[in-house]
Amino acid sequence: MKRAGLLLAALAALILAVAIGPTHVPWSEFASSPIVRTLRVPRALLAFLVGGALGTAGAALQAVVRNPLADPFLLGLSGGAGLGAVLAIAAGLPGAWATPLAAFAGALAAMALVYRIALAQGSELDPRGLILGGVAVGAFAGALTTAVVSLADAVALRNALLWLWGGLSGASWDAVVVVAVYLPIPLAVLFAAARPLDLLALGEEPARYLGTDVGALRRRVYVAASLLTAVAVAVSGVIGFVGLIVPHGVRALFGHRHRALLPAAFVGGGTLLTLADTVARVVVAPRELPVGIVTALVGVPLFALLVRRWTA
Amino acid sequence: MDGLILELSGVAFRYPGTAADALSGVTLAVRRGEVQGVLGPNGSGKTTLVRVALGAHAAREGTAMLLGKPIAAWSLGELARTVGVVPQREDFVFPQRVRDTVALGRYPHLSAWRAARDADRQAISRALERCDLSALADRWVSTLSGGEYQRVRIARALAQEPQLLVLDEPTASLDLRHEMELFELARSLADEHALGVLVITHHVNLAARYADRVLVLSRGRPVAAGPPDVLTRAVIEEVFAWPVQIELFEGRPQAIPLRRGKDGA
Amino acid sequence: MALRATRRRLPISAPTGVGIFALRRLAYTNLAACVALCAGTRAPAQGLGVTDDAGRSVRLAAPAQRVVSLSPAITELLFALGAGVQVVGRTTWCDYPPAARAVPNVGDGLSPNLESILARHPDLVVLYDSPTNMVATTRLNGLGIAALLLRQDRLVELARDARILGRLTGHADRGDSVAAAISSVRQAPALGLRIAILAWQNPPTVIGGASYLDELAALAGAENVFHDLASPAAVVSLETIAARDPDALVVFADSGGAGTRPEGLAWQAIRAVRSGRIIVLVGSRFGRPSPRAGEAVVEFRRLLEAGP
Repeated sequence: MKRAGLLLAALAALILAVAIGPTHVPWSEFASSPIVRTLRVPRALLAFLVGGALGTAGAALQAVVRNPLADPFLLGLSGGAGLGAVLAIAAGLPGAWATPLAAFAGALAAMALVYRIALAQGSELDPRGLILGGVAVGAFAGALTTAVVSLADAVALRNALLWLWGGLSGASWDAVVVVAVYLPIPLAVLFAAARPLDLLALGEEPARYLGTDVGALRRRVYVAASLLTAVAVAVSGVIGFVGLIVPHGVRALFGHRHRALLPAAFVGGGTLLTLADTVARVVVAPRELPVGIVTALVGVPLFALLVRRWTA
Repeated sequence: MDGLILELSGVAFRYPGTAADALSGVTLAVRRGEVQGVLGPNGSGKTTLVRVALGAHAAREGTAMLLGKPIAAWSLGELARTVGVVPQREDFVFPQRVRDTVALGRYPHLSAWRAARDADRQAISRALERCDLSALADRWVSTLSGGEYQRVRIARALAQEPQLLVLDEPTASLDLRHEMELFELARSLADEHALGVLVITHHVNLAARYADRVLVLSRGRPVAAGPPDVLTRAVIEEVFAWPVQIELFEGRPQAIPLRRGKDGA
Repeated sequence: MALRATRRRLPISAPTGVGIFALRRLAYTNLAACVALCAGTRAPAQGLGVTDDAGRSVRLAAPAQRVVSLSPAITELLFALGAGVQVVGRTTWCDYPPAARAVPNVGDGLSPNLESILARHPDLVVLYDSPTNMVATTRLNGLGIAALLLRQDRLVELARDARILGRLTGHADRGDSVAAAISSVRQAPALGLRIAILAWQNPPTVIGGASYLDELAALAGAENVFHDLASPAAVVSLETIAARDPDALVVFADSGGAGTRPEGLAWQAIRAVRSGRIIVLVGSRFGRPSPRAGEAVVEFRRLLEAGP
């Protein structure tokens, strides 16, 4: 029942995103309009995939570090992605894919660094290490980004900042295809980890006695969630709050079992970002808001409400 | 060797970065249908013993065998299908119903993509029944009493369909009735379902009443091992550092702690 | 002191550097305090008086001999006025005329670096009229240095700047003639060509009505399809660009490269991109209002007529 409701909401969000925009497309020309075919459809799909990736990554990371405040971007990835993007922009690398690829590489580098920091002794990934390492790596990358930006010229500075604010303006079919081909592997890794993640909620020792290799689980989930976040940031910049709020929202509806939670977080995240991007496109038309501002405006009050519910 | 499930011989273990062994010279056997008690004061190495026995820590000396196979050779999944553990501590993180909590015990039997089947549901029902929880199956765990919650955790371990059940301090912070109910449950699981049960406890008298054999640990070293008769006054006083008097009740020793300066101590 | 707290206009000093002034808000407060200790003060006296674009009256005892310019358009204007030798400080972006490059650089000017300005011992500092610069102006005044806040978003403003700066630098006649030349730039006949001017590609950022480039396009006879946007530049949807369907897309070439030429599949939704009607503007004369406006209009017109 709830599942059907969520799927319907997702479908409605996608239809809405394609149906409305800053310009009016008459129904008679709808199917043939290049605005719909080249711009709105791929943008709606990309928003859905990116939102889904962020929602799922957030839900999985919250479980693996056992901290409800974990957000894909808290773990240093945005800092690394930003640094990569800024370096590419400052170096003037040509081509539409140069910046996304550099951002992706930056996110992976940050992930590797945080991972290394969090390997406390030997091979155990320490969840506190992940959070603290993430914050530290994020701050360090942020400092380097500022340094690059202050030394680069004003054009690079502005472009880098605009890029970092995030948005789906560049959405096109090739980006949709790349993301759609890429996502299934990290998603499958996370969905396969659903039951062990339930057990991890009991604690490391109980999870072990119920058959979970906690160390391997942490490594797998952290890497897969990071890969999801990295591709999201590469194609859309840093879009905050989706990865933080969506897991909490779907938990309230679908409970804490990750087999239900992770797919719901994907659909929920996709729905939220598709709607937020639609708002970003139309609300101040012909201008456009950065979509991260919309997710923050919707997300923060929602989050405050959830926090009130917990503490009440 | 008949019915032997778990066997430790001459086991020693030292935590990294410490100078002294946390366990040394520990020998233990748990058989099908038997309750084995491990007794000792707080900090005597009882929980460490469980960890070494189940491969969470690797023994420095000696061997730990489960069903005749070295514990290190067991995969975690196999292990969880053979041994059900109720750890001393676990986090109570989110609201869930009794049945769902017990269902976690089926996870070792499910592959990543397989949904629960009838066999799983039946195992859950059986586990609930054995722990006398059927009536509480749809209650939220947060509304249970401490004793009921411990039974839920035992039911979860039973849902694993293990051959060996390990209970680590199961009666900590329970009142008399719930203590008794838990040991009765442990006993009946051994008697009626032929499980091997390893109970870690500091309750001398309960161990003496319910266990077939006891191992007494003090600072990681075995002080006595064997049937409850080994719980002599000298052993108890040495290990727990308090004067006691031993009385026999139904042939089993019961330690009565003496008051300081009175009772002739 | 009249300070308009909210001002939507931002200077456009580099072709694609639209809006950067608003992006960097570094505080130099502590620095200014230190500067106050090491610099001497001078008392203002009767002499030349003007009112700047912030409505402040500025007096100089004698024509300024040491001028620091914190705007590329002002630097260019000062050289055009024959006051080039009096310019003792400029920003990183002041690249025209070539002689300007020989003047010591006092920083990027986005958030004025008071220490390097003072090191040039100026008797007049000229800044773009923005809230950030207002703060810097107050500090400079506190140190006894005259500071002038001027806007150059329109040719009419530039002409006015020419007269003001002409007076304050002792080149009043030249100021009047430069102003007259700027004012004499004539509107070319309408081409019937609708264009969108792209400041940046992702997110798509177009030049709006409140910009010099919009004025330049109009003077060259083209119609900016985003003239109705009341800001110098704005982020819009590709969809909006596609729907407004400009005949041609105007982009800028950064130093040498064609960095802002639209790339990617999504841009194919725009007819001007599909048909390859992309006009590339090269050089600083398009990016900032200058005495070269006449040239810029002619060149822009030529590019529009020639097509890609």
